[in-house]
Amino acid sequence: MAKTKKKAGDINSSSMADIAFLLLIFFLVTTTMDVDTGMKRTLPPWIDPTEQQNDVDVNERNVLKVNVSRSGAIMVGTDEYRPNDLRRSGEHSRLSREVYYFLVDPNRSDKEAKTIDGGTYNISKGLVSLKADDETEYKVYLKVQDELTHAFNLYRDDIAREVYGMAYDELSELEAQNIRKAVRMQISEAEPNDQTKK
Amino acid sequence: MAVMAKKGKREVPAMSTSSLPDIVFMLLFFFMAATTMREVDPLVSVQMPEANEITELDKKNLVNIWMGKPLGAAKGEDALKIQLNDQTREVEDIRDFISATTVTKGVGPNDIVVNLRVDEGATVGKLTAVKQELRKAEALNISYAARAMENK
Repeated sequence: MAKTKKKAGDINSSSMADIAFLLLIFFLVTTTMDVDTGMKRTLPPWIDPTEQQNDVDVNERNVLKVNVSRSGAIMVGTDEYRPNDLRRSGEHSRLSREVYYFLVDPNRSDKEAKTIDGGTYNISKGLVSLKADDETEYKVYLKVQDELTHAFNLYRDDIAREVYGMAYDELSELEAQNIRKAVRMQISEAEPNDQTKK
Repeated sequence: MAVMAKKGKREVPAMSTSSLPDIVFMLLFFFMAATTMREVDPLVSVQMPEANEITELDKKNLVNIWMGKPLGAAKGEDALKIQLNDQTREVEDIRDFISATTVTKGVGPNDIVVNLRVDEGATVGKLTAVKQELRKAEALNISYAARAMENK
């Protein structure tokens, strides 16, 4: 009683694990896990230095000057800050607190009425003018930028609470966009040509 | 009792390894989903600075510019180099690089975000030179690449 059909033997699957391991190790080596994170900025459009420049008229009063020297010393207006003032104690650093007060205090920067989502709110016209020496270390420069951003974010948070009764990062994308549009992150950097002229 | 005593030692059956491939495949799929391919090999060493106010960047339309000391440079040497794609270049090459990138991506210079991966030891002067070139190239959306700050 010979069978006409032979039953196919089982494929040995013990090497399956080896193959999978090989693939796994390949992917571990060739890929990276890190997510790109960074601080977003928009540069001003290029102005030809030979052309006549009409500077935007900004009231001196609404400008907070932040100067960073090559050694990392910081001048905010006429006050001197040490590198240590960039470090946060608790939530804020001395620099971010100072910039935040500058934005909030109506005696220090003018307010202008802006329409956000139907309502009218007084928003500071405050602008931070950042000037860093060419020899300043990038690490220090970015930390200053970080603290300035923090100050503006705090201010945005205030406005968001006023308008929507919620913190800025709890808003929907559209609402956050409204806030972003009204409360501009006004950090302007001096034209490098100006520095060489000096 | 008597039966057990007769055998003395019982052999432990071999552990079944039939689920091993499943486990490994699961790991494999996890890594395939969670990671991205490394596109370029770094030619300059970039230690990114730390910052708090950072956002996640959309990989789409992100263009990287590296700036740091060349890998394997002598200790005293501090000439900063700029890496575009997989070559070290000069500042003046940025404009061509941006226009070439926008052509291959099929978008305008305003639609891309230039991610500046600058070494924390670099100087602001060099960075300003790069930013000036980007302004000339009309690539105005930039981001300063930074790591999230540990122990605030």
